[in-house]
Amino acid sequence: MTVALKVDRLSAGVEGKQILNELSIEIPFGEVHAVMGPNGSGKSTLCHVLTGKTGYTVEGAAAVAGEDLFSLDIDERARLGLMQSFQYPTEIPGVRLREFMLEASEERGIDEATAVSRIDEAAQQFNMEPFLERSLNDDLSGGEKKRSEIFQISVLQPKVALLDEIDSGLDIDAVKQVAEAVEQMRSPDLGVLMITHYSRILRYLSPDRIHVMIDGRIVDSGGAELAEELEQGGYDAVRRRLGIEKVVEEAPKQKPSDFFTDTPFDV
Amino acid sequence: MTAFDAGLIPILTAGLPEWRKSQMAAAFPVFEALDEPTGVEEDWRYVEYDHQFSDLQAALEPGEALPDGPFLTSVGDTSGHVLIVDGHVVEASSDSLQLARLRDSEEREFGLVAPDHNKLTAAHAAFAADGLFITVPEGTFVEEPLVIEVQGSTPGVASFPHIAVDVGVNAEAQILVVYRSAEGERLLMVPNVDLNIAAGGRLRYLSVQGLDHQASNVIHQRMKLGRDASGRVGEVGLGGDFARLDLAVDLEGDGCSSEVGGLYFGEGSQTLDYRMVINHSGKNTSSDVFLKGAVEDDSQSVFTGLLRIEKDATRTSTFETNRNLVLSENAKANSVPNLEILCDDVVCGHGSSVGPLEEDHLYYMLSRGLSRVRAERLLIRGFFQEVVDRLPVAGLAEPVSAEVFRRFVHAQDEGRVA
Repeated sequence: MTVALKVDRLSAGVEGKQILNELSIEIPFGEVHAVMGPNGSGKSTLCHVLTGKTGYTVEGAAAVAGEDLFSLDIDERARLGLMQSFQYPTEIPGVRLREFMLEASEERGIDEATAVSRIDEAAQQFNMEPFLERSLNDDLSGGEKKRSEIFQISVLQPKVALLDEIDSGLDIDAVKQVAEAVEQMRSPDLGVLMITHYSRILRYLSPDRIHVMIDGRIVDSGGAELAEELEQGGYDAVRRRLGIEKVVEEAPKQKPSDFFTDTPFDV
Repeated sequence: MTAFDAGLIPILTAGLPEWRKSQMAAAFPVFEALDEPTGVEEDWRYVEYDHQFSDLQAALEPGEALPDGPFLTSVGDTSGHVLIVDGHVVEASSDSLQLARLRDSEEREFGLVAPDHNKLTAAHAAFAADGLFITVPEGTFVEEPLVIEVQGSTPGVASFPHIAVDVGVNAEAQILVVYRSAEGERLLMVPNVDLNIAAGGRLRYLSVQGLDHQASNVIHQRMKLGRDASGRVGEVGLGGDFARLDLAVDLEGDGCSSEVGGLYFGEGSQTLDYRMVINHSGKNTSSDVFLKGAVEDDSQSVFTGLLRIEKDATRTSTFETNRNLVLSENAKANSVPNLEILCDDVVCGHGSSVGPLEEDHLYYMLSRGLSRVRAERLLIRGFFQEVVDRLPVAGLAEPVSAEVFRRFVHAQDEGRVA
């Protein structure tokens, strides 16, 4: 039986810097997996490379429901059934959420009546009705944006959902809501790969498997006990147990002015 | 058809009231003294204007009215209809507004713009032999728009449509002007539009510039606002080889407000040219300029907007925004917002941008499975939606959106969009 997502010895880099090192992971249909890792471990890069963002050198293979991803363009990957929920969803003034979902549905060959009922159902489920006629992500709070992402996944029903830092920047109530929403997304036709930096969200949902990612590869996989270890001892505890040396990169010298312009992207 | 020389004046003035005859006689030397714009003048920077009055003729009679065009079919009930062809008022009727033609009117100022503003305004002052004066009587509220069709019909002609609107004290009206010209014909229109809004008056005015791409249109439009008056001016710029809107808004009365909003979309080798001066002299006045445009192929757009606040215009609030999408490599958008503030008790802001469709936006949309073609179309529609929704006369949103969209899709289909 095919799995929802299969990533096989994936290596990727940007501007000559290697970020992912022969990373492999499999998400069966019906399961929710969490990938956890410290800043700079390559979590977001994994999402971007799978989604198809340009600018990365990529080796290795990835498949959604058995179909090769890397020979496809971004939009073809999405129509094949891969969908990312972004850490920072883009605000697009003038494009309304409802029409966006209708167009995306039409592009998938979903007839309008079905699309409309999916939109209405999901809007009700995720409390998105007030946002349907508003511009995409425009003027939404952090939590509302993440909810909108989950809503979109639920309308478009991909085979694989990549949730990039779906819990970041949210207060605890919003984290609970998002966790609930992820649990509601569970379906036998969907595999979820949830990327997170903090174990906080794992208090409110139970992934089928947890993977720890360090230095661009999965170094350990397990169940709830792994989350517990991270909660207690952080990534250093995992490193010590597995004998992974912490590579301390010399911090680049920053001019004071850089402090304000430097964005903490997790690449 | 006759050339624009001294011999034309007596022909044109036959049958006109004396006051207008003497105005034209006084304006002719001004016309003769001024040079044709060459592109060196600040007012004509960025553009190539290639009409010469020596190549153009006057239309002594109106040409044939054009066949029905787009934009008007979706307008519901109206308060009247005016047709101006080659500068001549051919039809004018309204049940609620007072309409008068030049030849039946008492002496009055003919155009708020000074004749020596440039060669074209001087030509208008010297050669405009017809005109329509619209009065919205004091206290009248006219709910439906008056529709004015301004057409250029005869090839090789320069015409001078003249429209003046007087909105009385506490009166309110809506006006829709649609400019069109004969298919494939080179000609020039130099309209003059005065919008004079008395105390407490309100006017919503929308012009749709839908000329053929061979014809040119240079509009001089002035709006003057009295105490607590409000004027909303909308602009849709689609047509013309060279199309200019030279607009000045004078916020003279205390507490008055104005809004200028709209869109333009250039294709082929069009030049769409917007020159605006918003002048605040009353106290507690507010104004907003919000214009969005796109250019594709070899077309170009110009926006220069000056917000001027005079010394005693305390508590002025004024904003100006001009956003431009450049959709092909050879297209160009110039955007030059300016402020001149002589008073220190004001709120004032301006924003301007020129660039292609945002890659971030496209990436997000592609990641949802939209093809690039579809994503671009949605972005174009979204970009203009904001201004289309704010057009001051209802019923135009649909046909205007449709035309903008049609242009973009057509260019996309032909691979003309970068």
